[in-house]
Amino acid sequence: MAKIAYYPGCALNERSSHLDRSARDATVRLGFELDELDTWTCCGAVPPVSEERVMNLVAPSRILKDVRDSGRDILITICDFCYNTLKRTNFIIKSDEITRKRVNAFLADDTPERDYLEKDDSLWEDYAGEVNVIHLMEYLRDELGYEKITESLKRSLKGLKIAPYYGCVMLRPQNEIQLDNPENPSIIEDFITALDAKPVKYPYRTECCGSYLSVSSPDASTRLCYRILTSARNSGADAVVVSCPLCFYNLDSRQKAITEAYSDFKPVPIFYFTQLLSVALGVEYGRQGFEKHYVDVTPVLDKIGISTGKGGEE
Amino acid sequence: MSENMGLAPPKNPPIRLTLEIVNTGFKQRVNELSGQNMDACYQCGNCSSGCPLAQEMDILPNRVIRLVQLGQNDDIINSETIWICASCFQCTVRCPKGIDIQAVMDALRQIAMDEGIDHFGPDQIDPELAASVPQPGLVGVYRKLAT
Repeated sequence: MAKIAYYPGCALNERSSHLDRSARDATVRLGFELDELDTWTCCGAVPPVSEERVMNLVAPSRILKDVRDSGRDILITICDFCYNTLKRTNFIIKSDEITRKRVNAFLADDTPERDYLEKDDSLWEDYAGEVNVIHLMEYLRDELGYEKITESLKRSLKGLKIAPYYGCVMLRPQNEIQLDNPENPSIIEDFITALDAKPVKYPYRTECCGSYLSVSSPDASTRLCYRILTSARNSGADAVVVSCPLCFYNLDSRQKAITEAYSDFKPVPIFYFTQLLSVALGVEYGRQGFEKHYVDVTPVLDKIGISTGKGGEE
Repeated sequence: MSENMGLAPPKNPPIRLTLEIVNTGFKQRVNELSGQNMDACYQCGNCSSGCPLAQEMDILPNRVIRLVQLGQNDDIINSETIWICASCFQCTVRCPKGIDIQAVMDALRQIAMDEGIDHFGPDQIDPELAASVPQPGLVGVYRKLAT
């Protein structure tokens, strides 16, 4: 089975472990394995606020250099924050020679036996952006092909109407990320279609959910999430699908605060795209970590007949 | 939220713009940190109309840029706007002049932090939230809003 270098990141390692597990379950059934890096650190979650803060690029560059040194040129991530940070770091390293030299000088410090300035003969090669950072969904679309998913389906999600939620950092800034059109994307819609479900169009799919403001200004995030979820619900969605742990947290857990603040609000179940994928590929639903969700997902599962009926592996 | 949502508070007496005030080097510093050209902005307001958080801001993003052009650093550094911006890149994507407005907000945050203004500290976090929010939220908030 093909093994592809995989960077889970801090959230997937712990608080969003259900995203990690459902991704691993699903990919094995699609014929490739997510091979977690032997050692990895936090990527920093957000790229540095200005070019003066070169230090903030060192951690993501070290991760990327380790991948390159192990002889691989593709790195899969799932968390949108890791994807954005690693991909943009790679872009800066590739395009800005001065920053590349400064970052590599820091990286060389990790290897104390080697004097970077003396240019000795040890096998040191500057990291120059050789690794291609890709999102799992991008891999499914471009390398595996969505039609391969449709062929491998064990359960049909027919009848489900699902609203894709992109959020901000998965698509933007578009000149560095180049995953899809930043204003009118279709990568998640096509993914939902490949699962035999129906994607719902609604205007707020690329609006921000508040991101880290959830910590510093929770009320602002509550208002944004209310707008997004109500828009999705009014467009007829049974559920919303996301790929980012922070979007998931904001849209799911924040529904408690939304219900308190808005009397007309009706809860909307939230899924990670990997959960829908592994459910459709026949992984038992008990492995999906649905108990970690604030909003009950059973009504959606009932609709496709797996929570009351046969829940086990098919 | 104030009644004059998105407007800079009125000055009394009104400020008189002179060459010395405008040329304090503030605009150049923002240009340098963000890698953007502040003079490119022609005030179309697209950034403010698309901003999902505009209603939470005291100075709208296009007005922030105008104030940078005019060297009004105090107004900006003491505004809520730079700390409410969630770096979602909506403005950056939509700017017809190609200004990365998110990078400008980052630069302004850094200038404020360099002057000793932090917006968020570990003592301000709700412990229940800290125990449940995914780590990118925690790391992100401290990297963006505190030195």
